[in-house]
Amino acid sequence: MNKIIFLFILFLTASPVFALERDYFVEKTLASNLYSKPETNLNYNYESVESIPIKLQITKNISTKKGKVYEGQNIEFKTIEDVFYNNEILLKRGTIVKARVETYINRGMNGIPATIIIDNFEIPNIKKEKLKSIYIKKGANRTIFVLPVKWALTPLPPTGSFTNIIIGGHAKITNKDKITIYYYPHWGNKLIDYNIDILKL
Amino acid sequence: MKKIFLILFACLLFASNTVFAIDTEKAIVNDMMLQNHINEIGTRILNANKIDLRMVFLYSRKDKLIKGEPSLTKRQIIIYDKNINNASNDDEIAAFLAREICKTAESYMGQLKGLVGSAQVKFAPKKYEIFFDKRAVDFMVTAGYNPLALITYINKNCPQKRFDTFARSNLTSKRLANIYEYIYTKYPYFLANNTYISNPYYQNFLLTSINNRQKLQQKIEKNTKKEIKYE
Repeated sequence: MNKIIFLFILFLTASPVFALERDYFVEKTLASNLYSKPETNLNYNYESVESIPIKLQITKNISTKKGKVYEGQNIEFKTIEDVFYNNEILLKRGTIVKARVETYINRGMNGIPATIIIDNFEIPNIKKEKLKSIYIKKGANRTIFVLPVKWALTPLPPTGSFTNIIIGGHAKITNKDKITIYYYPHWGNKLIDYNIDILKL
Repeated sequence: MKKIFLILFACLLFASNTVFAIDTEKAIVNDMMLQNHINEIGTRILNANKIDLRMVFLYSRKDKLIKGEPSLTKRQIIIYDKNINNASNDDEIAAFLAREICKTAESYMGQLKGLVGSAQVKFAPKKYEIFFDKRAVDFMVTAGYNPLALITYINKNCPQKRFDTFARSNLTSKRLANIYEYIYTKYPYFLANNTYISNPYYQNFLLTSINNRQKLQQKIEKNTKKEIKYE
């Protein structure tokens, strides 16, 4: 009996040794019930090549200059022209399309340009899995002429390093940029579509 | 007597050869299984993220180190046994592959069929390092993997240097803090419903990142968008 009591006490005293470090910051600022699980794309079928272009224009200019852009920033586009599918209007001209700045890279030495990556387009009545939508905008890329100069100067050290001071351009998306993303109406779970066709027959 | 020794020696030689053949066969089967598994995870990331750029995956043992940077030149992603030995689950293998996929995708960007893009990655690996980490998080989430595995994987694998001012790579603690902030901002679900909280490597990250997480907390409280200078 004494052994059992001893083991019980040992268990009670030893268990706090394995206590976990809690992430109080997350517990304080994020409530678990407020966030839904991010969407995945695992029911894909890329058999179909039929695509419909959707031409967009940004409503408010964004740029990497002076930290005007940030990750997760919500931005808005509008459709430049009507979009048709099967002779029916899918999107009217001027329809607002929401998107998100996924991430960006600041410009750097040796002419490396800044880059903005836009995705997560939300188009009314169109599922995201049927869109091929990633849009990447880069600034002026000066690397193409910086690198040959750098290599040419390499035998005369340290002159090759002087090209480091050439900085790449900022990335900007203005309302002059016409962005095209593609809607693939037949992408998705084809197996289900086939079953529906068989049932119809 | 000599005959007996001779027979005994022949038997021993035969037995050792058989054992060696069985071991080789086991190693081949093990390599095949690993290669298939890596292919499955890598292709799942490519397909889920609609990456329409060709790239292949190769599992290699450390005694056959491949020179150069095949992910940028041949678009071949190589995962060495030292990489896979440190992965505890599929999420962590996906973390490694997602990062490499992002790097390989960059080799398709820019002029001269991606030659300029590849040169930029080679010239400024420090600049692109954190970018690859962040995009790897996006790729993992879309492919159904838990992005916190990227934190545990890097925490186990990447050593911590003293300085990074003139280095070609960032401090690992800085990379981890950036990944944590990225997940916090874009995918708070994974932190709010944290399945890695009891993972010892994640706990080690929490322990070693207290200062950086305090900085993030201040940023959230002040509601600013300014970039944090992590240590």
